[in-house]
Amino acid sequence: MLTIEGLKKSYAGHDILKGISFNVNKGDVISIIGPSGSGKTTLLRTITTLEEADGGHISFAGIDNDFQKLNGKDINTIRRNVGFVFQNYNLFNNKTALQNITEGLIVARKVKKSEAKKIALEALERVGLTDRQNHYPSQLSGGQQQRVGIARAIALNPQVIFFDEPTSALDPELVGEVLKVMQDLANSGTTMVVVTHQMNFARDVSNRVIFMADGYIVEQGSPKKIFENPSEERTKKFLTDILSNV
Amino acid sequence: MENIKLIVNFLGQLLPAINITLIVSLSSIILGSLLGLLLAAARLSQSVILRVLASIYVSVIRATPSIIMIFLVYYGMPLLFNGWFHTNIDGWNRMYFVIIALTLLFSAPVSEIMRSAYESISKGQMEAGLLVGMSPFQTFYRIILPQAFVVALPNFANSVVNLLKEGALTFTIGVVDMVAKAQMIVANNSGGYAWQTYCALALIYWVISLAIDKGVSLVEKSYQKKRKTIAV
Ligand SMILES: Nc1ncnc2c1ncn2[C@@H]1O[C@H](COP(=O)(O)OP(=O)(O)OP(=O)(O)O)[C@@H](O)[C@H]1O
Ligand SMILES: [Mg+2]
Repeated sequence: MLTIEGLKKSYAGHDILKGISFNVNKGDVISIIGPSGSGKTTLLRTITTLEEADGGHISFAGIDNDFQKLNGKDINTIRRNVGFVFQNYNLFNNKTALQNITEGLIVARKVKKSEAKKIALEALERVGLTDRQNHYPSQLSGGQQQRVGIARAIALNPQVIFFDEPTSALDPELVGEVLKVMQDLANSGTTMVVVTHQMNFARDVSNRVIFMADGYIVEQGSPKKIFENPSEERTKKFLTDILSNV
Repeated sequence: MENIKLIVNFLGQLLPAINITLIVSLSSIILGSLLGLLLAAARLSQSVILRVLASIYVSVIRATPSIIMIFLVYYGMPLLFNGWFHTNIDGWNRMYFVIIALTLLFSAPVSEIMRSAYESISKGQMEAGLLVGMSPFQTFYRIILPQAFVVALPNFANSVVNLLKEGALTFTIGVVDMVAKAQMIVANNSGGYAWQTYCALALIYWVISLAIDKGVSLVEKSYQKKRKTIAV
Protein backbone atom coordinates (compact mmCIF):
# COMPACT_ATOMS: atom_id res chain seq x y z
CA MET A 1 0.00 0.00 0.00
CA LEU A 2 2.86 2.35 0.84
CA THR A 3 6.32 1.71 -0.54
CA ILE A 4 9.34 3.87 0.14
CA GLU A 5 12.60 3.32 -1.71
CA GLY A 6 15.98 4.90 -1.16
CA LEU A 7 14.67 7.83 0.85
CA LYS A 8 17.41 10.39 1.55
CA LYS A 9 17.41 13.55 3.57
CA SER A 10 20.14 15.84 4.77
CA TYR A 11 20.16 19.02 6.81
CA ALA A 12 22.87 21.52 5.92
CA GLY A 13 25.12 18.92 4.33
CA HIS A 14 24.56 16.52 7.19
CA ASP A 15 23.09 13.19 6.01
CA ILE A 16 20.24 12.19 8.31
CA LEU A 17 18.45 9.59 6.18
CA LYS A 18 20.87 7.62 4.03
CA GLY A 19 18.59 5.58 1.82
CA ILE A 20 15.60 4.14 3.62
CA SER A 21 13.44 1.49 1.98
CA PHE A 22 10.45 -0.24 3.45
CA ASN A 23 6.86 -0.98 2.69
CA VAL A 24 3.63 -0.90 4.62
CA ASN A 25 0.79 -3.29 3.89
CA LYS A 26 -2.81 -2.72 4.75
CA GLY A 27 -3.45 -3.60 8.39
CA ASP A 28 0.23 -3.48 9.31
CA VAL A 29 1.22 -2.18 12.70
CA ILE A 30 4.88 -1.28 12.34
CA SER A 31 7.01 -0.10 15.22
CA ILE A 32 10.12 1.91 14.45
CA ILE A 33 12.71 1.82 17.20
CA GLY A 34 16.22 3.15 17.43
CA PRO A 35 18.52 5.44 19.35
CA SER A 36 17.89 9.14 19.68
CA GLY A 37 19.03 11.08 16.62
CA SER A 38 18.85 8.09 14.31
CA GLY A 39 16.38 9.89 12.04
CA LYS A 40 13.03 8.37 13.05
CA THR A 41 11.17 11.66 13.29
CA THR A 42 12.80 12.88 10.09
CA LEU A 43 11.65 9.71 8.34
CA LEU A 44 8.00 10.26 9.28
CA ARG A 45 8.20 13.96 8.43
CA THR A 46 9.66 13.41 4.97
CA ILE A 47 7.16 10.67 4.08
CA THR A 48 4.28 12.93 5.13
CA THR A 49 5.80 15.88 3.18
CA LEU A 50 6.37 18.07 6.22
CA GLU A 51 10.00 18.04 5.12
CA GLU A 52 11.29 17.85 1.57
CA ALA A 53 13.23 14.70 0.81
CA ASP A 54 16.49 14.92 -1.13
CA GLY A 55 16.01 11.65 -2.94
CA GLY A 56 14.00 8.47 -3.07
CA HIS A 57 10.77 7.12 -4.42
CA ILE A 58 7.27 6.79 -3.05
CA SER A 59 4.31 4.80 -4.24
CA PHE A 60 1.17 5.51 -2.32
CA ALA A 61 -2.45 6.49 -2.96
CA GLY A 62 -2.07 6.32 -6.72
CA ILE A 63 1.23 8.18 -6.73
CA ASP A 64 4.30 6.43 -8.06
CA ASN A 65 7.03 9.00 -8.25
CA ASP A 66 10.35 10.31 -7.00
CA PHE A 67 10.00 12.45 -3.92
CA GLN A 68 11.67 15.35 -5.67
CA LYS A 69 9.22 15.20 -8.57
CA LEU A 70 6.10 15.45 -6.41
CA ASN A 71 3.96 18.40 -7.43
CA GLY A 72 1.48 20.33 -5.31
CA LYS A 73 -1.32 17.98 -6.23
CA ASP A 74 0.69 14.88 -5.22
CA ILE A 75 1.57 16.51 -1.92
CA ASN A 76 -2.09 17.20 -1.25
CA THR A 77 -2.93 13.61 -2.11
CA ILE A 78 -0.34 12.32 0.34
CA ARG A 79 -1.50 14.66 3.08
CA ARG A 80 -5.10 13.62 2.56
CA ASN A 81 -4.30 9.95 2.87
CA VAL A 82 -2.12 9.97 5.96
CA GLY A 83 -2.86 10.73 9.57
CA PHE A 84 -0.26 12.05 11.96
CA VAL A 85 -0.12 11.90 15.73
CA PHE A 86 2.52 14.23 17.11
CA GLN A 87 4.76 13.76 20.11
CA ASN A 88 3.48 17.03 21.60
CA TYR A 89 -0.11 16.59 20.36
CA ASN A 90 -0.26 19.87 18.35
CA LEU A 91 -3.95 20.29 18.95
CA PHE A 92 -5.54 23.49 17.68
CA ASN A 93 -5.56 25.52 20.87
CA ASN A 94 -8.39 27.82 19.80
CA LYS A 95 -10.72 24.90 19.13
CA THR A 96 -12.54 22.52 21.43
CA ALA A 97 -11.83 18.80 21.39
CA LEU A 98 -14.79 18.29 19.08
CA GLN A 99 -13.83 21.17 16.80
CA ASN A 100 -10.27 19.86 16.59
CA ILE A 101 -11.75 16.83 14.88
CA THR A 102 -14.44 18.49 12.77
CA GLU A 103 -12.07 21.18 11.46
CA GLY A 104 -10.32 18.98 8.90
CA LEU A 105 -13.57 17.25 7.94
CA ILE A 106 -15.45 20.49 7.32
CA VAL A 107 -12.70 22.71 5.92
CA ALA A 108 -10.60 20.23 3.97
CA ARG A 109 -13.01 17.39 3.20
CA LYS A 110 -16.08 19.60 2.75
CA VAL A 111 -18.17 17.26 4.89
CA LYS A 112 -21.48 18.76 6.04
CA LYS A 113 -21.36 20.17 9.57
CA SER A 114 -23.91 17.78 11.03
CA GLU A 115 -22.22 14.82 9.40
CA ALA A 116 -18.78 16.01 10.58
CA LYS A 117 -20.04 16.28 14.13
CA LYS A 118 -21.40 12.75 13.97
CA ILE A 119 -18.05 11.40 12.73
CA ALA A 120 -16.17 13.41 15.36
CA LEU A 121 -18.35 12.11 18.19
CA GLU A 122 -17.77 8.56 17.03
CA ALA A 123 -14.03 9.19 17.03
CA LEU A 124 -14.19 10.74 20.50
CA GLU A 125 -16.09 7.75 21.72
CA ARG A 126 -13.41 5.41 20.43
CA VAL A 127 -10.82 7.26 22.51
CA GLY A 128 -13.17 7.51 25.48
CA LEU A 129 -13.55 11.27 25.58
CA THR A 130 -17.19 11.90 24.73
CA ASP A 131 -17.62 13.81 27.97
CA ARG A 132 -14.73 16.14 27.13
CA GLN A 133 -15.96 17.20 23.70
CA ASN A 134 -16.40 20.86 24.62
CA HIS A 135 -13.14 21.26 26.48
CA TYR A 136 -10.31 23.30 25.06
CA PRO A 137 -6.85 21.67 24.88
CA SER A 138 -5.67 23.80 27.80
CA GLN A 139 -8.38 22.16 29.91
CA LEU A 140 -7.29 18.61 29.12
CA SER A 141 -4.53 16.47 30.58
CA GLY A 142 -1.68 15.41 28.34
CA GLY A 143 -3.12 11.94 27.95
CA GLN A 144 -6.52 13.35 27.03
CA GLN A 145 -4.93 15.77 24.56
CA GLN A 146 -3.08 12.96 22.89
CA ARG A 147 -6.27 10.91 22.68
CA VAL A 148 -7.96 13.86 20.97
CA GLY A 149 -4.95 13.94 18.64
CA ILE A 150 -5.57 10.30 17.82
CA ALA A 151 -9.30 10.89 17.35
CA ARG A 152 -8.49 13.77 14.99
CA ALA A 153 -6.39 11.41 12.89
CA ILE A 154 -8.81 8.48 12.77
CA ALA A 155 -11.85 10.64 11.98
CA LEU A 156 -10.36 11.39 8.58
CA ASN A 157 -10.10 7.66 7.92
CA PRO A 158 -6.61 7.83 6.38
CA GLN A 159 -4.93 4.84 4.76
CA VAL A 160 -2.14 4.91 7.32
CA ILE A 161 -1.57 6.76 10.56
CA PHE A 162 1.93 7.79 11.62
CA PHE A 163 2.67 8.17 15.31
CA ASP A 164 5.83 9.98 16.43
CA GLU A 165 6.55 8.91 19.99
CA PRO A 166 2.96 9.52 21.03
CA THR A 167 3.61 8.85 24.71
CA SER A 168 7.04 10.45 25.17
CA ALA A 169 5.72 13.80 26.38
CA LEU A 170 3.37 12.21 28.89
CA ASP A 171 3.70 11.72 32.62
CA PRO A 172 4.25 8.00 33.24
CA GLU A 173 0.81 7.51 34.78
CA LEU A 174 -0.85 8.81 31.59
CA VAL A 175 1.04 6.61 29.15
CA GLY A 176 -1.25 3.63 29.71
CA GLU A 177 -4.47 5.28 28.56
CA VAL A 178 -2.90 6.32 25.27
CA LEU A 179 -1.29 2.95 24.63
CA LYS A 180 -4.63 1.31 25.33
CA VAL A 181 -6.31 3.43 22.65
CA MET A 182 -3.53 2.59 20.20
CA GLN A 183 -3.86 -1.08 20.96
CA ASP A 184 -7.61 -0.91 20.28
CA LEU A 185 -6.90 0.78 16.96
CA ALA A 186 -4.39 -1.90 16.04
CA ASN A 187 -6.87 -4.62 16.93
CA SER A 188 -9.52 -3.05 14.73
CA GLY A 189 -7.24 -3.25 11.71
CA THR A 190 -5.95 0.33 11.47
CA THR A 191 -2.73 0.60 9.50
CA MET A 192 -0.17 2.21 11.79
CA VAL A 193 3.48 3.21 11.71
CA VAL A 194 4.62 3.98 15.22
CA VAL A 195 7.92 5.47 16.31
CA THR A 196 8.20 4.45 19.92
CA HIS A 197 10.45 3.86 22.87
CA GLN A 198 7.74 1.65 24.43
CA MET A 199 9.29 -1.74 23.87
CA ASN A 200 6.21 -3.51 25.22
CA PHE A 201 4.10 -1.94 22.51
CA ALA A 202 6.64 -2.83 19.84
CA ARG A 203 6.82 -6.42 21.04
CA ASP A 204 3.20 -7.10 21.87
CA VAL A 205 1.13 -5.00 19.48
CA SER A 206 3.06 -4.58 16.26
CA ASN A 207 3.45 -7.20 13.58
CA ARG A 208 6.73 -5.79 12.34
CA VAL A 209 9.59 -3.96 14.02
CA ILE A 210 12.06 -1.72 12.19
CA PHE A 211 15.32 -0.93 13.94
CA MET A 212 16.95 2.29 12.74
CA ALA A 213 20.36 3.70 13.53
CA ASP A 214 22.42 6.46 11.93
CA GLY A 215 19.98 7.07 9.12
CA TYR A 216 19.79 3.43 8.02
CA ILE A 217 17.36 0.63 8.65
CA VAL A 218 19.66 -1.81 10.39
CA GLU A 219 17.18 -4.63 10.37
CA GLN A 220 13.49 -5.36 10.38
CA GLY A 221 11.32 -8.34 11.07
CA SER A 222 8.68 -9.78 13.31
CA PRO A 223 8.80 -8.68 16.95
CA LYS A 224 9.77 -12.21 17.88
CA LYS A 225 12.71 -12.14 15.52
CA ILE A 226 13.93 -8.67 16.52
CA PHE A 227 13.51 -9.09 20.26
CA GLU A 228 14.50 -12.71 20.65
CA ASN A 229 16.92 -13.32 17.85
CA PRO A 230 18.29 -10.15 16.28
CA SER A 231 20.90 -10.74 13.60
CA GLU A 232 22.74 -7.46 13.91
CA GLU A 233 25.15 -6.55 16.67
CA ARG A 234 23.74 -2.99 16.85
CA THR A 235 20.23 -4.23 17.40
CA LYS A 236 21.38 -6.50 20.20
CA LYS A 237 23.28 -3.72 21.89
CA PHE A 238 20.39 -1.26 21.59
CA LEU A 239 17.90 -3.73 23.02
CA THR A 240 20.16 -4.76 25.86
CA ASP A 241 20.76 -1.12 26.77
CA ILE A 242 17.15 -0.07 26.60
CA LEU A 243 15.72 -3.13 28.30
CA SER A 244 18.21 -3.02 31.13
CA ASN A 245 17.19 0.57 31.74
CA VAL A 246 13.61 -0.34 32.45
CA MET B 1 -15.25 76.10 40.35
CA GLU B 2 -14.33 78.93 38.05
CA ASN B 3 -11.60 76.71 36.58
CA ILE B 4 -13.95 73.82 35.97
CA LYS B 5 -16.32 76.10 34.09
CA LEU B 6 -13.44 77.35 31.99
CA ILE B 7 -12.22 73.86 31.25
CA VAL B 8 -15.68 72.76 30.21
CA ASN B 9 -15.94 75.79 27.99
CA PHE B 10 -12.57 75.03 26.37
CA LEU B 11 -13.59 71.41 25.92
CA GLY B 12 -16.52 72.65 23.88
CA GLN B 13 -14.21 74.69 21.69
CA LEU B 14 -11.62 71.95 21.24
CA LEU B 15 -13.87 68.99 20.57
CA PRO B 16 -14.96 69.99 17.04
CA ALA B 17 -11.35 69.57 15.95
CA ILE B 18 -11.30 65.99 17.24
CA ASN B 19 -12.30 64.67 13.84
CA ILE B 20 -8.90 65.71 12.44
CA THR B 21 -7.20 63.73 15.21
CA LEU B 22 -9.46 60.75 14.61
CA ILE B 23 -9.04 60.78 10.83
CA VAL B 24 -5.27 61.06 11.14
CA SER B 25 -5.06 58.33 13.79
CA LEU B 26 -7.45 55.88 12.17
CA SER B 27 -5.88 56.23 8.73
CA SER B 28 -2.39 55.76 10.17
CA ILE B 29 -3.51 52.75 12.21
CA ILE B 30 -5.05 51.04 9.19
CA LEU B 31 -2.26 51.87 6.74
CA GLY B 32 0.44 51.26 9.35
CA SER B 33 -1.03 47.87 10.23
CA LEU B 34 -1.07 46.85 6.59
CA LEU B 35 2.52 47.98 6.14
CA GLY B 36 3.40 46.27 9.43
CA LEU B 37 1.84 43.06 8.17
CA LEU B 38 3.96 43.19 5.01
CA LEU B 39 7.06 43.88 7.09
CA ALA B 40 6.28 41.01 9.44
CA ALA B 41 5.79 38.72 6.45
CA ALA B 42 9.13 39.94 5.05
CA ARG B 43 10.88 39.25 8.35
CA LEU B 44 9.44 35.76 8.47
CA SER B 45 10.14 35.01 4.82
CA GLN B 46 12.71 32.61 3.36
CA SER B 47 14.50 35.40 1.52
CA VAL B 48 17.55 36.73 3.32
CA ILE B 49 17.37 40.00 1.39
CA LEU B 50 13.78 40.65 2.43
CA ARG B 51 14.56 39.79 6.05
CA VAL B 52 17.58 42.11 6.18
CA LEU B 53 15.81 44.97 4.42
CA ALA B 54 12.82 44.73 6.71
CA SER B 55 14.92 44.61 9.83
CA ILE B 56 17.01 47.61 8.75
CA TYR B 57 13.80 49.50 8.02
CA VAL B 58 12.40 48.68 11.44
CA SER B 59 15.58 49.75 13.27
CA VAL B 60 15.80 53.02 11.35
CA ILE B 61 12.17 53.92 11.89
CA ARG B 62 12.35 53.06 15.57
CA ALA B 63 15.32 55.38 16.01
CA THR B 64 13.57 58.32 14.34
CA PRO B 65 11.83 60.76 16.72
CA SER B 66 8.25 61.40 15.64
CA ILE B 67 8.68 65.11 15.14
CA ILE B 68 11.69 64.57 12.90
CA MET B 69 9.78 61.96 10.91
CA ILE B 70 6.94 64.41 10.34
CA PHE B 71 9.34 67.09 9.13
CA LEU B 72 11.26 64.62 6.98
CA VAL B 73 8.08 63.55 5.23
CA TYR B 74 6.68 67.06 4.98
CA TYR B 75 9.83 68.62 3.51
CA GLY B 76 11.33 65.55 1.87
CA MET B 77 8.43 64.05 -0.03
CA PRO B 78 7.75 67.04 -2.30
CA LEU B 79 11.43 67.02 -3.29
CA LEU B 80 11.29 63.31 -3.92
CA PHE B 81 8.14 63.56 -6.03
CA ASN B 82 9.58 66.46 -7.98
CA GLY B 83 12.84 64.70 -8.64
CA TRP B 84 11.53 61.23 -9.44
CA PHE B 85 8.07 61.65 -10.85
CA HIS B 86 8.18 65.31 -11.86
CA THR B 87 4.97 65.81 -9.93
CA ASN B 88 4.24 68.75 -7.74
CA ILE B 89 2.62 67.73 -4.48
CA ASP B 90 2.90 71.06 -2.70
CA GLY B 91 -0.86 71.43 -2.97
CA TRP B 92 -1.55 68.25 -1.02
CA ASN B 93 -3.62 68.51 2.11
CA ARG B 94 -1.03 68.70 4.90
CA MET B 95 -2.91 66.02 6.78
CA TYR B 96 -1.67 63.50 4.21
CA PHE B 97 1.93 64.16 5.21
CA VAL B 98 1.15 63.51 8.85
CA ILE B 99 -0.71 60.33 7.96
CA ILE B 100 2.25 59.12 5.92
CA ALA B 101 4.72 59.96 8.69
CA LEU B 102 2.62 58.26 11.36
CA THR B 103 2.02 55.26 9.11
CA LEU B 104 5.77 54.81 8.77
CA LEU B 105 6.25 55.24 12.52
CA PHE B 106 3.43 52.88 13.43
CA SER B 107 4.44 50.13 11.00
CA ALA B 108 7.71 49.39 12.81
CA PRO B 109 6.46 48.42 16.28
CA VAL B 110 3.38 46.79 14.77
CA SER B 111 5.46 44.57 12.52
CA GLU B 112 7.44 43.43 15.55
CA ILE B 113 4.26 42.77 17.51
CA MET B 114 2.77 40.76 14.67
CA ARG B 115 5.95 38.80 14.12
CA SER B 116 6.39 37.82 17.74
CA ALA B 117 2.69 36.99 18.11
CA TYR B 118 2.94 34.74 15.08
CA GLU B 119 6.07 33.08 16.39
CA SER B 120 4.48 32.51 19.78
CA ILE B 121 1.96 30.15 18.18
CA SER B 122 3.62 26.78 17.82
CA LYS B 123 4.64 25.76 14.32
CA GLY B 124 3.23 22.33 15.14
CA GLN B 125 -0.34 23.58 14.81
CA MET B 126 0.40 24.65 11.25
CA GLU B 127 1.76 21.16 10.53
CA ALA B 128 -1.25 19.55 12.15
CA GLY B 129 -3.49 21.68 9.95
CA LEU B 130 -1.63 20.61 6.82
CA LEU B 131 -1.91 16.95 7.78
CA VAL B 132 -5.66 17.11 8.28
CA GLY B 133 -5.75 18.36 4.70
CA MET B 134 -6.14 22.09 5.18
CA SER B 135 -4.13 24.48 3.01
CA PRO B 136 -1.46 26.69 4.59
CA PHE B 137 -3.76 29.69 4.17
CA GLN B 138 -6.76 27.93 5.71
CA THR B 139 -4.65 26.86 8.66
CA PHE B 140 -3.20 30.33 9.07
CA TYR B 141 -6.57 32.01 8.87
CA ARG B 142 -8.56 29.59 11.04
CA ILE B 143 -5.98 28.39 13.56
CA ILE B 144 -2.91 30.61 13.79
CA LEU B 145 -4.38 34.07 13.23
CA PRO B 146 -7.10 33.95 15.91
CA GLN B 147 -4.52 32.90 18.49
CA ALA B 148 -1.90 35.39 17.35
CA PHE B 149 -4.55 38.12 17.48
CA VAL B 150 -5.20 37.52 21.17
CA VAL B 151 -1.47 37.48 21.89
CA ALA B 152 -0.87 40.69 19.95
CA LEU B 153 -3.83 42.64 21.26
CA PRO B 154 -2.40 44.26 24.44
CA ASN B 155 0.82 45.36 22.74
CA PHE B 156 -1.08 46.52 19.70
CA ALA B 157 -3.34 48.67 21.88
CA ASN B 158 -0.24 50.08 23.54
CA SER B 159 1.14 51.10 20.17
CA VAL B 160 -2.17 52.67 19.21
CA VAL B 161 -2.06 54.84 22.33
CA ASN B 162 1.51 55.85 21.47
CA LEU B 163 0.44 56.72 17.96
CA LEU B 164 -2.37 58.84 19.32
CA LYS B 165 0.12 60.78 21.41
CA GLU B 166 2.58 61.18 18.55
CA GLY B 167 -0.35 62.47 16.52
CA ALA B 168 -0.43 65.46 18.87
CA LEU B 169 2.51 66.74 16.81
CA THR B 170 0.25 67.13 13.79
CA PHE B 171 0.01 70.87 14.43
CA THR B 172 3.75 71.32 13.79
CA ILE B 173 3.21 71.42 10.03
CA GLY B 174 0.16 73.61 10.26
CA VAL B 175 -2.76 71.20 10.37
CA VAL B 176 -5.47 72.61 12.60
CA ASP B 177 -6.07 69.73 14.97
CA MET B 178 -7.02 69.95 18.63
CA VAL B 179 -3.54 70.99 19.69
CA ALA B 180 -3.42 73.79 17.12
CA LYS B 181 -6.87 74.82 18.24
CA ALA B 182 -5.68 74.99 21.84
CA GLN B 183 -2.79 77.21 20.82
CA MET B 184 -5.19 79.53 19.03
CA ILE B 185 -7.45 79.72 22.05
CA VAL B 186 -4.52 80.65 24.26
CA ALA B 187 -3.36 83.24 21.73
CA ASN B 188 -6.85 84.71 21.50
CA ASN B 189 -6.86 85.08 25.27
CA SER B 190 -3.50 86.84 25.03
CA GLY B 191 -1.79 83.97 26.75
CA GLY B 192 -4.38 83.75 29.49
CA TYR B 193 -6.03 80.57 30.78
CA ALA B 194 -3.28 78.54 29.18
CA TRP B 195 -3.23 75.74 31.73
CA GLN B 196 -7.01 75.39 31.74
CA THR B 197 -6.93 75.11 27.97
CA TYR B 198 -4.28 72.41 27.96
CA CYS B 199 -5.97 70.68 30.83
CA ALA B 200 -9.08 70.37 28.67
CA LEU B 201 -6.90 69.01 25.88
CA ALA B 202 -5.23 66.48 28.16
CA LEU B 203 -8.65 65.32 29.36
CA ILE B 204 -9.66 64.49 25.80
CA TYR B 205 -6.51 62.41 25.25
CA TRP B 206 -7.02 60.62 28.56
CA VAL B 207 -10.56 59.68 27.71
CA ILE B 208 -9.58 58.32 24.29
CA SER B 209 -6.70 56.29 25.76
CA LEU B 210 -8.89 54.94 28.54
CA ALA B 211 -11.51 53.96 26.00
CA ILE B 212 -8.92 52.05 23.98
CA ASP B 213 -7.65 50.22 27.07
CA LYS B 214 -11.16 49.42 28.18
CA GLY B 215 -12.11 48.16 24.74
CA VAL B 216 -9.10 45.88 24.63
CA SER B 217 -9.70 44.40 28.04
CA LEU B 218 -13.32 43.76 27.11
CA VAL B 219 -12.24 41.86 24.00
CA GLU B 220 -9.67 39.90 26.03
CA LYS B 221 -12.25 39.06 28.68
CA SER B 222 -14.72 37.84 26.14
CA TYR B 223 -12.09 35.48 24.76
CA GLN B 224 -11.30 34.11 28.19
CA LYS B 225 -14.95 33.82 29.09
CA LYS B 226 -15.71 31.92 25.92
CA ARG B 227 -13.18 29.30 26.96
CA LYS B 228 -14.44 29.07 30.53
CA THR B 229 -18.16 28.84 29.93
CA ILE B 230 -18.13 26.23 27.21
CA ALA B 231 -16.31 23.64 29.24
CA VAL B 232 -18.17 22.88 32.42
N1 LIG C 1 15.20 20.86 11.15
C1 LIG C 1 16.41 20.32 11.37
N2 LIG C 1 17.54 21.01 11.05
C2 LIG C 1 18.75 20.48 11.25
N3 LIG C 1 18.96 19.25 11.77
C3 LIG C 1 17.90 18.52 12.11
C4 LIG C 1 16.57 19.02 11.94
N4 LIG C 1 15.70 18.06 12.36
C5 LIG C 1 16.45 17.04 12.78
N5 LIG C 1 17.77 17.29 12.64
C6 LIG C 1 18.87 16.39 12.98
O1 LIG C 1 18.62 15.16 12.38
C7 LIG C 1 19.01 14.09 13.23
C8 LIG C 1 17.89 13.11 13.36
O2 LIG C 1 16.84 13.73 14.05
P1 LIG C 1 15.46 13.02 14.33
O3 LIG C 1 14.63 13.98 15.09
O4 LIG C 1 14.91 12.49 13.07
O5 LIG C 1 15.90 11.82 15.26
P2 LIG C 1 15.00 10.81 16.08
O6 LIG C 1 15.43 9.47 15.68
O7 LIG C 1 13.56 11.16 15.90
O8 LIG C 1 15.46 11.09 17.57
P3 LIG C 1 14.60 11.06 18.92
O9 LIG C 1 14.49 9.63 19.33
O10 LIG C 1 15.43 11.83 19.87
O11 LIG C 1 13.29 11.72 18.64
C9 LIG C 1 19.46 14.70 14.53
O12 LIG C 1 20.86 14.72 14.56
C10 LIG C 1 18.93 16.11 14.47
O13 LIG C 1 19.79 16.99 15.13
MG1 LIG D 1 12.05 11.89 17.18
